Amino acid sequence: MSKITNVSIDSIGSSMKKIGLKQEVSSIMILLVMFTITAILQDNFFEPNSVVRNINAFAPLILLAMGQAVVIISGGLDLSAGAALSLLTCVLTYVMKQDDPITGVYAIVIAFAVAVLIGVINGIGIGYLRIPPVILTFATSYIWLGAALFIRPTPGGETVKWFKVFYDTKSAEGVPAFVKAIGSVFQPALVLVLVGCLIWYVISKTKIGRYIYAVGSSNDSAYATGINTAKVQMMACIINSVFIFLAALFFVGQNQSGDARMGDPMTLKAIAAVVVGGIALTGGRGSVYLAIVGALILSFVNKIIFFADIPNAYQTLVSGLIIIVAIAGSVAYSYINKKAVGKESK
Amino acid sequence: MILEVKGVRKCFGGVVALSDGNLVCRLGKITGLLGANGSGKSTISKIITGVYNADCGEINYNGQCVKYKNPNEARLDGIAMVFQNLSLIPDLTVWQNIVLGAEQKKGIGLDNKSAKEISEKIINKLHPGLDINKKVNQLNPGEMQIVEIAKAISAEPRLLILDEPTAALEQAQVKNLFQYMRELANQGVSMIFTSHRMWEVMEICDDVIIFRNGENVASIDFAEEGKDADKIISYITGDAKKSECEIVDREISGEAVLSIKGMNYGKHLRDISFELKKGEVLGIGGLAGQGQNELLLALAGAYPDMKCEAEINGRKIKLTKPVNAVRNSILLVPGDRQLEGLFLKDSVYKNTIFPKLALKRQPLFIPSKKYRMECENIVKTLSIKTHTIDTPVGTLSGGNQQKVVVGKWLSFDINVLLLADPAKGVDIGAKRDLYQYIVDMVKEKNTSVILYASDCEELIQYCDRVLIMYEGQIVDSLEGCNINEDEIISASMCVKRTMEVG
Amino acid sequence: MDTMKNLNDMSIAQKGSLSVMIDKHKKTIVAFLLIIFLFILGEVIVSDFLSVGQVLLTIKLSSFIALFALCQMIVIAAGGGGLDLSVGFTATLTAILTAVIMDGKNENLLLAILVALAIGAAVGLANGTLVSYVKLPPLVVTMAMASIIQGIINVYTAGKSITGKPAPILQTLAAQSTGVFPNILFVLIFMAVVVMIILNKTRWGLKLFGVGTNETNAYLSGVDVKTVRMVAFVISGAVAGLIGLLLIGNMGTAFKDMGSSYVMPSIAAVVVGGVSLAGGEGNYFRVILGSIFLQTLTNLLVALGWGDAGKWLGFGIVLFVLLIAYVSDRRKR
Repeated sequence: MSKITNVSIDSIGSSMKKIGLKQEVSSIMILLVMFTITAILQDNFFEPNSVVRNINAFAPLILLAMGQAVVIISGGLDLSAGAALSLLTCVLTYVMKQDDPITGVYAIVIAFAVAVLIGVINGIGIGYLRIPPVILTFATSYIWLGAALFIRPTPGGETVKWFKVFYDTKSAEGVPAFVKAIGSVFQPALVLVLVGCLIWYVISKTKIGRYIYAVGSSNDSAYATGINTAKVQMMACIINSVFIFLAALFFVGQNQSGDARMGDPMTLKAIAAVVVGGIALTGGRGSVYLAIVGALILSFVNKIIFFADIPNAYQTLVSGLIIIVAIAGSVAYSYINKKAVGKESK
Repeated sequence: MILEVKGVRKCFGGVVALSDGNLVCRLGKITGLLGANGSGKSTISKIITGVYNADCGEINYNGQCVKYKNPNEARLDGIAMVFQNLSLIPDLTVWQNIVLGAEQKKGIGLDNKSAKEISEKIINKLHPGLDINKKVNQLNPGEMQIVEIAKAISAEPRLLILDEPTAALEQAQVKNLFQYMRELANQGVSMIFTSHRMWEVMEICDDVIIFRNGENVASIDFAEEGKDADKIISYITGDAKKSECEIVDREISGEAVLSIKGMNYGKHLRDISFELKKGEVLGIGGLAGQGQNELLLALAGAYPDMKCEAEINGRKIKLTKPVNAVRNSILLVPGDRQLEGLFLKDSVYKNTIFPKLALKRQPLFIPSKKYRMECENIVKTLSIKTHTIDTPVGTLSGGNQQKVVVGKWLSFDINVLLLADPAKGVDIGAKRDLYQYIVDMVKEKNTSVILYASDCEELIQYCDRVLIMYEGQIVDSLEGCNINEDEIISASMCVKRTMEVG
Repeated sequence: MDTMKNLNDMSIAQKGSLSVMIDKHKKTIVAFLLIIFLFILGEVIVSDFLSVGQVLLTIKLSSFIALFALCQMIVIAAGGGGLDLSVGFTATLTAILTAVIMDGKNENLLLAILVALAIGAAVGLANGTLVSYVKLPPLVVTMAMASIIQGIINVYTAGKSITGKPAPILQTLAAQSTGVFPNILFVLIFMAVVVMIILNKTRWGLKLFGVGTNETNAYLSGVDVKTVRMVAFVISGAVAGLIGLLLIGNMGTAFKDMGSSYVMPSIAAVVVGGVSLAGGEGNYFRVILGSIFLQTLTNLLVALGWGDAGKWLGFGIVLFVLLIAYVSDRRKR
């Protein structure tokens, strides 16, 4: 059918600029509205304590959404992100011994290596073996889950005392004074997000950054131009893994434990955040930073809904509904927009 | 002499696309390739750049025998090709596309400044005013083609192959392109240029090589022999059998079966109107890719966005869904039979009964016995060579596959049969069977047929009337004695009109 | 590209019908060999692995995987990258809701079946509409649907215990045996026959495979591709609803996670059975073999004391390896 539908795409193509702009503007507008509503509903919204709490609540989703965005822009989709996050928390807490501060460093190094390995395995499957990303990452998610359960059948584990630096610098022990000083100004969660942004900023200036868009936009054209598409897809998976690794550092700092199941609900949320931010699931289009906007929108909506005093039991139901409505809404919105603009240009 | 191609041969699954291709390119000269559909002119360009591998033959480039595995290797060696089917990345900007794959580093990042400068310089010559910061998906097809050309030029090739680069361009853009091509030629770049517009070839090329039936039949150096359009056309058509005209003495009753008014579909079909009479075989001719396939697909209801007024036997119908076309017995034998017409993995039987499912009244359980009998009959009538009716269609030869595509419609009471190049990739025996069957069907059942054939001879032999398409429009209608190779080809190339323009 | 296609034709054309037949059954043979290999491996490592009782137990447990895999197979057969991650959750939901309706009495069974079908079909309709008409990726849709259903279950069970019992007929069907054979096996055989008849003998089945094999051809032949795909999801949902009844019949009571752990095996069973994830195929017999393989693997890993971790890791690796073997598209471009 592609041959048939393709044709209608070019007629739309000419008006793409307007849409691209509109979609970005509209998601930022929605974010502003959500922000305002939350600020009105929450009395102490601007007080330092609640700002800190909000940053801590939003940061992990932002990181995961940015990683997912990179994969989606490269033309893939990562269903194993949540399981990979769980595995990394298990690895971190498995290596660390509470009384031996140096194990914290070992843990970070080993977990980072595991993260890269996760990216490489997904990347080989998607890029080199050309298995459809969705089913491939579905399979690998169970490998990560199994491995995590091996290390940590039940939630738990220990961390070194300074590991809290990734969550709350004040209560971390054995940390140099200047780190504490920085931490008192910038929340660790915020720092992690900024590190993520910096990583992507640098990458986006390199060949890989541009090729990720090229491969996601048109794999065949990119290949015809001589780009090693498999390598680019693998790099996208590795970058995603690094973002997941950053999120894992935060969670372990916060919970002081690992949990083989904690990441499960995060996968879908991250994908939803990417879509809500206005990044096309078809790949090649949209800025990675829009994932931040999407993650914030979802987080604020969650917050607003729970101001309505909904019992805890409704949480899964409501967040599931939000996700599907948000995804269907964004896709329908861009579709209607395309049609409208298409008619205008005629 | 920069390039010499000697005795290149290429077959695609038993069909010879190029039997003996020879070609010479001189330093700083522009060589034109001319020929009718399927004459092999595109194939030889693709062999030079490594898109296809030649079966045999020799390519000498710069005094060395070369054989490229892919276009990228050729490009590294200084041979760039402008593709007809665009190789651009829609979501990147114009300048990003132009330097794609050849980005220069600067520090940890990329040297975007010089990339933009290079792009600006080339684009300014080809299409002044095109914003290089626009994304490619915001451009129109003509502008995309220009970016594609710019991308090839930016690699600073020594040999540039342009395969119908002007098809999507407007007059002014073509002029700019020619100016720049001449400039490059003066700098010592050699070029191979193919186009279906005669005047363009006459204007820009230093010499032309004419292809017919997979081999080069003539080469004319304009500097020595001058530019003679009639002579070129006679080479393209061969020693045309102009005089043999047997008027098919068939009376076609006056009533119209299908009437189409104002059919429009994007750029592919523009304002097409025609009437098809009962028992008529209406041919659609023209160069490849002028909208003929799209016309037949549109008639079969494949395009929901297509606009037209259609009447069948005086009754208005909407052709926006295939099911509407099938229920009105407008039945398509599509051009790409493997993608659009068959389930390759499935058996002959399944393929032949499948369309019946689109009909309304069907028993809950498939009456296998009855249907298998019908299928056996179809196999017999069309003399499909298959082991059993349970043999997967994918294992049959091209000709027999095509017969299965026709066969799946035979249990219908056909109003209009749409045939999109049915003889493509079909061996001679099967082709004869197929056409014989259709001719008989027209005679016995007074069926109406619309036949698009890329081969003129099929049109001449079987059609009562031939419509010529050019860039999505019907530009000519030939009848009776006018249906001959000469007329068809000159109408196809729009020689009469464009010569005046040129 | 054209060259490739033509070369492919040639190679297909050259293969005789005999090698085509062998090709056809290659995947069945592979699935069989894998099962036998596991049993032998189990017998070597853990004693008393290969006994009649053990085999029958394996078949009983794998029946549930096979039933869920049926939903999956139909959705996958419709093509377009279809998969249904919500089946296990749908089954849990119907089990919990119908438990109350049945209340351990046979006369309430009919109502329970209707409710189960209605719930399942509604879930399938929602999935199918979003996939076919809103054009969202099936995995994302059904994953979100799973989370919504889990949410409904959480709300329903919040602060109270799940009450109700299955109708005795269901217990007989799902939990008990006739002679040595578990009754669920007969249910499975019945389902398999019905499914194979629907898929191969009715026009709907033919349409389903047509849409999955070559959607362009099906569309041009006048088939409404979107509707066929949507109906595939509806059937998947409805069947999942009915499986919920069998699950509660087997367990005696309903509980919160009774179906969710079947989602992964249901997909893996289809892949192990060698049914193409690209659509247009559906050989339920092979899918059943795939289910038996997965259950045997689980038994082996449990016997080795590796429990849940080993099961998921094993399933993940098996799926990964088979994806490489069956799905990987390493063609030269």
